This record gives sequence, C-alpha cells and structure tokens, in this order.
Amino acid sequence: MTAIAAKSTASEGINPVASVIGIVIIIAAVAITAVVANFALAALIGVIIGGLLIGFGVHFVPVGGAPAAMGQSPGIATGVAMLAAGAGLAGLFGGAWAAANPEFGIAIVIAAGAIGGGLLMAVTCLMVNVVYIFGMGIPAASGKVAKDPITGDSQAEYKSQGTEGHGLPFVSYVGGVIGGMLGGAGGTLIYYELLQVYAARLPEIFGATAEGVLPVAISLAGIFAVGMFLMNAVLAAYNITGTIEGPHDPKFKRFPRAVIGCAVASAVAGLFAVLIVVV
Amino acid sequence: MESVLLGIGVTALAGALATVAGAAEDTESNIGSQGDPNSQVQLAPQMGYIHRIYNKAVSGEPPAYGLWVTISAGVAWAFMITGMNPVLAIVIASALAVFVQGVYATTAYLGRTASLAKFEQPVYIDVIKSVTTVTMAHAFVAIFTTVAMCYLLVEALGHPFPLPLLGIVWGIALGAAGSATGNPFYGKERQYQTQNFGAGVPISASGNIVRYAEAGQRSSLDNGWFTAKLGGPASGVCFGLIVFLELWRTVLFESVAGGWGAIIAGVVIILIFMIIDRYIEVWARKNYGPYVKAEEVSA
Repeated sequence: MTAIAAKSTASEGINPVASVIGIVIIIAAVAITAVVANFALAALIGVIIGGLLIGFGVHFVPVGGAPAAMGQSPGIATGVAMLAAGAGLAGLFGGAWAAANPEFGIAIVIAAGAIGGGLLMAVTCLMVNVVYIFGMGIPAASGKVAKDPITGDSQAEYKSQGTEGHGLPFVSYVGGVIGGMLGGAGGTLIYYELLQVYAARLPEIFGATAEGVLPVAISLAGIFAVGMFLMNAVLAAYNITGTIEGPHDPKFKRFPRAVIGCAVASAVAGLFAVLIVVV
Repeated sequence: MESVLLGIGVTALAGALATVAGAAEDTESNIGSQGDPNSQVQLAPQMGYIHRIYNKAVSGEPPAYGLWVTISAGVAWAFMITGMNPVLAIVIASALAVFVQGVYATTAYLGRTASLAKFEQPVYIDVIKSVTTVTMAHAFVAIFTTVAMCYLLVEALGHPFPLPLLGIVWGIALGAAGSATGNPFYGKERQYQTQNFGAGVPISASGNIVRYAEAGQRSSLDNGWFTAKLGGPASGVCFGLIVFLELWRTVLFESVAGGWGAIIAGVVIILIFMIIDRYIEVWARKNYGPYVKAEEVSA
C-alpha cells in the first residue's frame, strides 16, 4: 500500500484502551491530591473542569489556517491553538481583574473571563468579514454545509470557483464567540482555583502576611493558568488536525476525545501546580 | 468620579496604543511574510517560481509576539524596580527585545530559504540587509506600544497581573488579532494580485505568487506598503477595539449591579457586533450576488 492509498488512522471515535488509561491517570492524580494536599482537592477538580471547557471551546473556533489566507477555505486565517489562546488569555485578563475585587464571587469572576474571551472573538470575527467583504469583495460561504444551520442561507452558489468557501458564515461567527467564551471561562476557572490555594498556603510557607504574598500568589496562578491554557488548546488543536469551520463542521464530533485528553493533561498539570505549595 | 474620569482617559489612551500596535504588527508580519500566507512563499520555489520575498515564518505571529512583548515587559519591569524612569525603561527594553526579533528574523530567513536550495532558490544577502531592519523598526513600534499599554493597565487601572505576565497575555492576543485580520489581505490581495478580484484563489493556482513589480522583482518592502493601506489599519482597529471595549466596560460598569454591570455590558457589545456581522454578510450576498446560479450548483 502506498502512502497515498493508505487511509488516515485518525478516526472520529474514542479509543477505549487509551480512554481507560486516561481515566486511571485522572483518578490517580485526584487520589494523590486527596492524600497529600486534601485542602486543594476542590481546586484540582476546578482545574480539570477548566481544562475540559478549554478543550471543548477550541472546537467551536472557526480556523481556516493558510488556505483561508488565500480565500481558499472558510475560517479565520491563523492557527487553531493560537487563536483560541488569544481569546482565552484575553478572557483570563478580564477574569483576573474581577478576581482582584474581594466583593466579587466566583460566578462574576468566571462570567467576566467568559465575556472577555467572547468579546475578542466577536471583534476579531467581525473584522475578518470586514476585510473579506470590503477589502477583497468576497462574500462568506461555507464549504461543509449546503445551508447555514442558523440563518438557513444557501452556501454553495457563493463559493468562488476552485475553492472550498471563504470568510465566516454566521454559524462560524457564533461558534467563534461561543468558543472564546468557553475558553475564557475555562482559563479563568483554572486561575481562580489556583489563586485560592496559593493565597491560603503561601503566607505560611514564606512566613509573611497574606497581603505580602498576594503578588506572588497572583503571578504563580497566572502563569500556571496561561501554561495550562496553551497545553489544552494545543491538545485540542491536535484533535482537530488543521482547520475547522465551527460547530457545523464534521470534525466537531471529535470533541469527546479532546475532552478526555484535556481532562487527563489538566489533572496531571494541576497536581504539580498544587504540589508546589505542599512540598 | 475622578477615578472614573481617569479610568476613561487611560482606557482611551490604551485603546489608541493598541490600535497603533495592531497596525504595526500586521505590517511587520507582512513585510517579513510571517503569517499564514507564508505557506505560499515557501511553496513557490517548489513549483518553479523563484522569488525575492522575505521568509521568516518559523513561528506563528501569536507566540512570536508573545515572546518579544514578554521580553520587553520583563526587562522594563526589572529596570523600573531599580528605579529607572518608566518611559526610558520601556524604550530601552523594547529596543533590546527588537534585537532578539532581528536575530530571530535573520536566522529564520536563512534557515527557511536555505532549505529550498534543492529547488534553486538563492539566499539573497541584500534582502537580509534591506528588509530585516525594516521589520525590526515596525516590531519596535508594535512592542513599545503594547508594553506601554500594559504598563498603563497595571499602574493606572490597577490590574493585578505583573507587567511580564500581562506581556504574555497581550502579546499573544496582539499576534492572534493581527494575523486573523491581516493575513487574508496579504495572502489573497497582494500575493495573488493577478487573480480575479472578488473571488478566492483557486487551489490550482497555489504557489504562483506575484514575483515582479513595475520595475524589476517585487520586494517584501512593497508588500508592507500595500498592506499598510487596509490590512494593517484593519488589524489595528481590531486590536484597538478589543482592548478599548474590554477596559471600557470594566471601568464604567464594574460597580453597577454588584459586578454584573460589566458582564451585561459585555453581552450587549457582543450582540451588537453579531448584528453588524450579520448585516454585512447579507449586504455582501445581495450586492455581490452568487458566483453561479443555484440550479448549476445542484446540477
């Protein structure tokens, strides 16, 4: 069999053996935390949920990569992981700002992160369509569906010859905003949970006041949140393999696999993030 | 009231800095051909089209700008701790970060172009000399304005993140906004200027980029001149709006309804953008019309 004739081994389904191994790793990470750092158990669960949200959210973001830069395929002309990271980190910025206000509870903090990520995607997706429509004279058209699932607009006749579509049909726009919101919420949840752990434990470790170590706690939680965000975004991007139009793209159905992968990676990374204030 | 007024003023200034940063970032990446259209610059010699376009895409724009802005923010932060004037610290730190960008650009051009030796693509030393410094100048503008914006967020608006961490966040966001908005204009409208206006580039034309100018071969500097007309400003507006609206809704509405005011304002802004997007999508379909009739598609 030649390389051309060979079919891709990347399937849409879930590998049961790998999934069981992953779940065992998650249980092990949670068990270690329960024994060694019981005070951080809830935080670790929060970190895992945050990772899930990021991994799931990345699948909504319409990314066309290099072909989109030539108007050859729909989506935003950049990489999956990087665009998701941009949105998620903008969300983290808003969430961290809200978290600095002691009057605000976790619901406002997470919502602030979600809106920050959604806002970046709303502005970016609009400007992408502005450049396509007013700069290049090209209307939006999907290559994956005959009709836009939200508006019902037919797509095929608006695809220019020799391309798979271009720009951002409305369903892709909505997908981008949802993806940005999920990413922003997930990144902020990771930050918030780790901040609670560090703010509680660091004063004892350093022998300093809570106010004195707060900048260190914020910096540590922030850098771990950024790192875990990138880790989960890249994992999800590997699952997508290249480009995706949004929630209507057949590749979207792969998300359960990424959700399991992101949960495992977040559990292990979260364990290490917690252990630094135990040892 | 005074703090709100100060906050609005700082928000406006930060938005203006972000707008300049976005425009400079996109122009820099187009001159250096760092965005996704670079795939065509790399592909062209393999299809037999030898060119003099700069080629430094060994990394996407978001991680590259994440690195450069963070280096500048970190160094500026260290300088300020020693008591240096903040403006001077940011200028010197941005200059140092630009040297890293220059080394990155030079090695990336040499590495990527040398890898095309088997396709007889030469490495042009005069291209390195003339283009690298121009990308460095644009990178300086983008890095300086972004770090200055981050400094305002910390010092004037009281964001809890330290300056280097804000550098990572907004450096990556800058690259994401700039590449998303500016790439299609550079890729389709400039590299494939000979293709039909108002249509995507047929996949069969891949690699056949425009290589000649009015006189002689096209230079990457001309690409910066061209994209600075729309791709650059559009990227600037994109990043400027992101920063401005994110700060504006927080500064003005955070104290309303126990913190939910800023969230509601954000939702309203997102819905407004969504309506505008739908309007221009319908406008384009009506005014440009379909490429082929619906019956032909189904046939």
